[in-house]
Amino acid sequence: MRRLTTFGLLLALASAAHAEPPLQTGVEEAGRQAFATPMAGLDAERSAAFLRGRSLFRQVWVIAPSRDEAVDGLGPLYNRPACTSCHPANGRGQAPEQPGQRMASMLVRLSLPGRGAHGGPLPHPVYGDQLNETGVPGVPGEGRARLVWTQTAFRFADGETASLRQPRIEFDELAYGSLDGVLTSARVGPPVFGLGLLDAVDDATLEALAAEPQADGVQGRVNRVWSPQASTPQVGRFGLKANVARLREQIAGALHGDMGITSTLHPRENCSAAQTACASTPNGGQPELSDAQLDDMETYLAYLAVPARRDLDAAVVRQGEAQFQALGCGGCHRPQLVTGERAADPRLRGLTIAPYSDLLLHDMGEGLADERPDYLASGRDWRTAPLWGIGLAQQLSSSAGFLHDGRARSLSEAILWHGGEALPARERFVALPRENRQALLAFLGSL
Amino acid sequence: MSVHSFLSRRRLLGGMAQLGLFCAVRPLLAAPRELTVLTSYSETVLARIEEAFERAYPQYRLNLLWRMPHDAIGYLSQPRQGDVDVYWAASPRTFEALRQQGAWRALPVADAGLADHIGALPLLGPERAYRASELAGYGFAVDPQALAGLGVAPPKDWSDLADPRLAGRIALPVPSQVGFAPPMIDIVLQAYGWQRGWALWSEIAGLSYLVPRGSTFISDEVVGGRAAIGLSIDFFVASAIAGGARLEFLYPAHGGLNPGQIAIAAASRNGEAAEAFVSFVLSEAGQRVLADPDIRKLPVRESVYAQLPETYHNPFRNAAAGGYEYRGDAGSGRLGLIAALFEQMLVAQHERLVTLWAQLHQLEARRGQRLDDIRGQLGAPLIDEAQAADVQLLAGYRRNLEGATMQPDARELGWAALAEQRYRQVADSLQRLA
Repeated sequence: MRRLTTFGLLLALASAAHAEPPLQTGVEEAGRQAFATPMAGLDAERSAAFLRGRSLFRQVWVIAPSRDEAVDGLGPLYNRPACTSCHPANGRGQAPEQPGQRMASMLVRLSLPGRGAHGGPLPHPVYGDQLNETGVPGVPGEGRARLVWTQTAFRFADGETASLRQPRIEFDELAYGSLDGVLTSARVGPPVFGLGLLDAVDDATLEALAAEPQADGVQGRVNRVWSPQASTPQVGRFGLKANVARLREQIAGALHGDMGITSTLHPRENCSAAQTACASTPNGGQPELSDAQLDDMETYLAYLAVPARRDLDAAVVRQGEAQFQALGCGGCHRPQLVTGERAADPRLRGLTIAPYSDLLLHDMGEGLADERPDYLASGRDWRTAPLWGIGLAQQLSSSAGFLHDGRARSLSEAILWHGGEALPARERFVALPRENRQALLAFLGSL
Repeated sequence: MSVHSFLSRRRLLGGMAQLGLFCAVRPLLAAPRELTVLTSYSETVLARIEEAFERAYPQYRLNLLWRMPHDAIGYLSQPRQGDVDVYWAASPRTFEALRQQGAWRALPVADAGLADHIGALPLLGPERAYRASELAGYGFAVDPQALAGLGVAPPKDWSDLADPRLAGRIALPVPSQVGFAPPMIDIVLQAYGWQRGWALWSEIAGLSYLVPRGSTFISDEVVGGRAAIGLSIDFFVASAIAGGARLEFLYPAHGGLNPGQIAIAAASRNGEAAEAFVSFVLSEAGQRVLADPDIRKLPVRESVYAQLPETYHNPFRNAAAGGYEYRGDAGSGRLGLIAALFEQMLVAQHERLVTLWAQLHQLEARRGQRLDDIRGQLGAPLIDEAQAADVQLLAGYRRNLEGATMQPDARELGWAALAEQRYRQVADSLQRLA
């Protein structure tokens, strides 16, 4: 059942002064379309662009040359052939359970110690900044990454137990030589709704949040990253380390890095000089994704509605919400942000949104550290993950994983992995009576 | 353009040894054997099958290459068939065309539990060259509330769509553009006969709005309230229903099934792996994947239906009751021609067609009688059935496979002129009677 909402986390109504009707940025939808529904109020032109963008997002891309020139250009090196491979139902990916299982919806970032162009990670000279496991015919895939899990038992004071698993990345079948000394970071695909709202938050808002002192010594920091769109450093907000400034760049970067599809923002194929077969492979046009197609994908991802909260009036949810604040979770997982003036669509400006994130970097401790710096983000830093919709993640995909590498199989496990600046909040969670912990989880389930 | 040279595992190993990359060699020897499958299924289907297959057969790894059917014949016609091991897609015409070129090896897969026919539809290709691996049924996506609002009962068959109250509320996919649509047109032509079938399509098209190839799904049209009925293949709609859409899918009395099929390439050098994949897709485990809420296709293994909810459409049961007498194999040779005829008769001048049918319905309502002469003019096929069976003519339209974009040739422009002339005559007749 779906009914557009006018309440809950959709606090978003644009100024009545605009000629267009206000956008309803959220949707009361808890079924399989929860993350795939457009905001209500799109005009015919945007609706058409949204649908074209949806087709591209779901498209299984074709290896060039092909008679379907609009969607060819996969590879030469790639991870998966469709956006939805890593964002199933527009939600989270998952980590492989077994060592031999393929990374169906996650990838491994690579770099060497040091800084690359514009201060970003220094790509591996042969493998680049991401392991592309697959190649088109004639181009060997770069190799296979597998996760080997180490389990640690955890016991709450009241006897409840949890098993925390930590991955170790190993490589097999490396086709282009050793990866010794490489820095790695495994990432599951994150959910993709509400991104237009995050894109609409002004840099100044994030910088102001970073300047606010928080309890427990929590201090968020903005990442400053190179923007290929603006050709200047910008405040980062997308990506698990806030290493991308704009939504359009995030889309173009993922298409290029994960699928080998070029665009005007990434005009060169993802082949290194040592990958000669890769470099001599036919392409699907220059660029392979047209600006018009990128526009459509941006429209699609900008206007995917945020699922409304559920069970708002349940006592346990209200109790959990109070716990959330009392534990200090809301210091980073900010319940509200306000969009600024930078969105091209005026109806995305001045909205109060509820991502439960400050979009800032925080030291999350040793347990979650990947030891792979990314611009100003250290190996222990991660961007506060938005929590909106998190209560539906495992309804859409029962095996969806939490945290950057999908290690947490439940929200309770995810909380237990919090360290660094979040350690005091985590310890208060651990000390809660079971009933209060359940209330907190019920609140998260309502998001 | 040139085709990539195939880098065999042996050559790769040799090349790596020359480069001194010995560290990489040991894991390669233990790597799963790669199996290349050419397909046009959605990412969801591919991801689910890939996961299930590789779990069941960890010694193999799928390399999935995606091509639309109209692009697959060229790919499989390369030397060594492009190193494809298995072709797996929902395009009977492509499978048969390639069979006639000797593209397939006989399937060695055991038949136990797999029927050779369902209703009139063969599930096993000639010479065991290919086998149906899933089915999809044609019918109507309906919004019951919208229909009730129009005072129209849920349609039981295609002829129920010819109801003036549905004017502008039927979503009709354009057969020349939407891959699943040509067999749907043929189902009606076979069920009602050539003359009556085209007349019915004329009236349905006159009451419909057209949905071209592209971004919108028929289920979107109904869910969005633009259509009360969408003509569709079932899995798009069933998946939307499983996702919470307020829709129903109704199978008509004169139903039809479109099979997805699977075949092993004659040039495959991975025969054992290819057989394993085909066996898995046809197995209970593989067939159960089809019932995933995001897929919702119809299994070809009858025993699987016992494990599915009672509401899951069981085509074997329907076929036993006579619901699937459509001969897809018989119709497949003329689908390209039918799509071209449909285009010139009903799509190219659609706006005019809609106006004419609206005027005719109004006139009939006012007079309280059917105006069969005008109906006959408006719905007459552009060519008769004997002409449509002409081998040379059919050969000219075989290239129009799913996904192809074709420009009208001189003959089609002639059909367009004929349709235009008839519509002018109908307009004159309506004016005289008004």
